[in-house]
Formats: sequence, structure tokens, C-alpha cells
Amino acid sequence: MGLEGVGTQLPVVGSGKDGSPGFLTTKLDFVVNWARRNSLWPMPFGTACCAIEMMASYASRYDVARFGMERMSFSPRQADLLICAGRVSYKMAPVLRKIWDQMPQPKWSISMGACASSGGVFDAYSMVQGIDTIIPVDVYVPGCPPRPEGLIYGILMLQEKIKGESLSKGIHEEIRREDPDRVSRPNLPADVIEQIAGPFGNSTKQNKSSGLVSTRALSRPRDRRP
Amino acid sequence: MADEFEKGLGGLETGPETSGGVGPEPSFETEVEHPSVAALREEFGDAILRHELHAGDEHVIYIEASRNRGILRWLRDAPDQRYDFLADVTGVDYGGGRPIQVVYQLWSIPHKRALRVKVELPLRSLEVDSVVPVWSTANWLEREVYDLFGVEFIGHPDLRRIMMPENYAEGHPLRKDFPLRGRFSRAEQTRRALSYDLEVFYTPQELEILKDRDWERAQQRAKAQQADRGDFPDDREDSRDPRDEGVEAEVAEEQE
Repeated sequence: MGLEGVGTQLPVVGSGKDGSPGFLTTKLDFVVNWARRNSLWPMPFGTACCAIEMMASYASRYDVARFGMERMSFSPRQADLLICAGRVSYKMAPVLRKIWDQMPQPKWSISMGACASSGGVFDAYSMVQGIDTIIPVDVYVPGCPPRPEGLIYGILMLQEKIKGESLSKGIHEEIRREDPDRVSRPNLPADVIEQIAGPFGNSTKQNKSSGLVSTRALSRPRDRRP
Repeated sequence: MADEFEKGLGGLETGPETSGGVGPEPSFETEVEHPSVAALREEFGDAILRHELHAGDEHVIYIEASRNRGILRWLRDAPDQRYDFLADVTGVDYGGGRPIQVVYQLWSIPHKRALRVKVELPLRSLEVDSVVPVWSTANWLEREVYDLFGVEFIGHPDLRRIMMPENYAEGHPLRKDFPLRGRFSRAEQTRRALSYDLEVFYTPQELEILKDRDWERAQQRAKAQQADRGDFPDDREDSRDPRDEGVEAEVAEEQE
């Protein structure tokens, strides 16, 4: 929905018989998305070593402020990007969920690091196995911890995602809709949580989700050298 | 091969197997003197079960669990002992059905001496006297041991969980018979975690980290202001905190 559609749809205002947005909406989308993606106010939710790298990203050497994130918002009411950096225990889960519920729309979230994305090495009784069981996640940044370049790349990917959003009815609701019944409830249904939080096995016992016993090694012919 | 895997996994659940069955561990009697050990033997006799030496100079005293508070109080108060600093209270579960140990790590500031005192509690009766009356710092330390090992400290003023959530119902996680990933499914754990409401389990006093005195003053100020304005009548029975009755009586007297 960027400017690239302007030329083809120029004379048409509100044309969309099939629901496609017309010229005016496209132009407005561009301006609104430009403003949103270049003035993200992040709410830092740093719980572990990833937060150190997040702080490094904000410091002068890497300087996320170049991308419009000058202001760290320590109040969820004035934030529109939640960066969860570090492991989240079950005791911390209601706190994370409440902060997410307190943030006004439009809002996005980045899951930074292996622990926030999947539980990481902490496959134990006390740890949330990925914060996407608690809140919806837009971008996952892998790493243990990710370097500042990794977090900045994730932020740029999120900006690309925001660039593609649209205010048009339907599309916007579909992207940003949140069921009010899910407030302070798990983000995913129980069977999905079981599926994605299943143990990956260890060196002596593999299970069906570990990938090492149930599937063969990926065979991609173009990876092989002649 | 599969049997070995299963055996290894069983070992994860129950802890390492003992080599010679469940029995008393070999005693490492030593010639190295610790001034407190001889004094303890002289004072309490049979209540001092054994004495071990670890890592060269770390003296460990096993005492009878039923007499722990008296012995520890004597260690704090006797002029030649004066172990006035309780550095830590921890629990140890060696697995295999062996007793759970409660470890008191003592330090004597006047005499610059350390002593480690242990009591052994059989799994069927995990009860021991609290030492909060002796060292008040034991309050949170014993709560931690209770939370993670399930040891009941008799006489503890406020024995409840400190690390796991208050609505945690899966047991005591550091015991060797506790499964690594918990007893409930991940979905149930997530649901329970998110249904955990802080305000149900903690008073505003605890959430705001007010001192008791400040809390009472704040309550009195608020009630006096309400009485002055004449609005917000605080008459609902269910909203009344029984601890406030004294304050309310005072406010009522002032009004009259």
C-alpha cells in the first residue's frame, strides 16, 4: 500500500468494488504508516541479559534513535512497541500480559532472544515457553543474546511490516484486531500452547517434536557443491 | 539401549541412586579442632550427632532436629560462641529417599568463626522448629526453604510461599521427586499464571511496601478526610479489614 500503487490508481477515488482501497486511502495509509513506523516509542521489558544488549542498542554506538525511537517509554500508556528482552517466568507472566493490555492500539511487540521466543534453555517448571503464549508477537529476534545489530534488524523488519498495514476497513481490523475476551488470558488456545511448548528432547531421548528422529536431514540439492 | 534411556530418565525424576542403600553416611571424624564443636559436645552430649570436615576447614555439625532451637540459641548467646549472624538457611535433598537436610550457616562476628549446622528430617515428617525467635533474618530464609522443599517450620510467624506464585499448586519444585517441567501441562500452567491476581494475595500494604506505621497513618488520614467531606461512606461490611477495627473506633470517637 505504499506510493507504488499511486500511479496505477491515480484517477480513481474509492473505486474498490472488490474491496481494494482507492487512491485517497492509499495516500493516507502511506502518511500514517510513515509517521507510525518512524516514531515508535518502545516499552522496554528487560528481564535478563538480552536487556543489556537492548541498552547497548540505545546507547551512542548503535543508537536506535536514528530510527525514530528516541524516547524509551517506561509507561505502557505512552508506548506502542513492547520489546520483551529476556526470559519470562510464570510469576512474571501476568505482569507482561497486564502491560500489554495497558498499551493503546496501535501496538506491536518484539520478542528479543531465544528465551523470550521459545523458553530457550530454560525448559523448566518455572519458565514461560515463549511469550507468544502470553501476548501476540510481531517480530522474533533470535540469538542468545542477539547483538544490537540483530535487534536493530528486527526493528527494521517491524517497520517494513508497519509500512504494509492499511487503515482500510477490513484489512486494518484483520491485522490489529484483538478479542476483548482475551485480555489477561493466554494468547493461544490450550492445544496450540501444548504443541509449541512441547519438550525438544535431550541428547539421550528425542521425541516427535525434536526433529532429529522424526524427520530426515533437509535435502536441498542446490546446497550441495558440485 | 531403550531400557538405559528409560532408566536414565527415571534417575532424573528420583535423583541419583545410592551406592550402598539408604543408610547413614560415612562419618569423617577429624582431628582438626573447632572450639565450638567440643563445647557443643560438652553442653548437649547426645544431641550432637556427628561432626564432619569439608574442604579442609569447613566444620559441619549434625544436631538432633527436635532440639535445634535450643542448640542454636545457645550458639548465639554463649559468650564463647556468639554466632550472632545467620548467613543463610537452605535445604538439601540428596534424593533416593534420603532425609532432607536443613542447613544453618552461622558466622560469629566477635570471634570471626564460621560453623555450619545441619538437621536431617525424614521425608515422612518434614517439621522442624523455626529459628525466627533467635534470628529474625530467618523469616524469609525459612519461607524459601518451605516454598521449595516443603519443610514446615513450627512457630514461623508467616509461613507462605515466597518465590513461586501464591496459587502454585504443583508442590515444592526443588525436591528430587519433582518433575523438571512441573506436574501440570504447559497450557494449564499458563492459564493458572495468568489467572493470578496480585491484589487477591497481597494487601495494598505489601504491594506499596509501606511500613506498618505509615500504613496506619495513611489509613487514619484517609478516613479522617472522608469524615470531613462526608462522602464515600465506608459502611460496606465486605470492604472492611478486620485489622482496621481499632483505627475505626478511634475515628468514631473523634467524630463524637
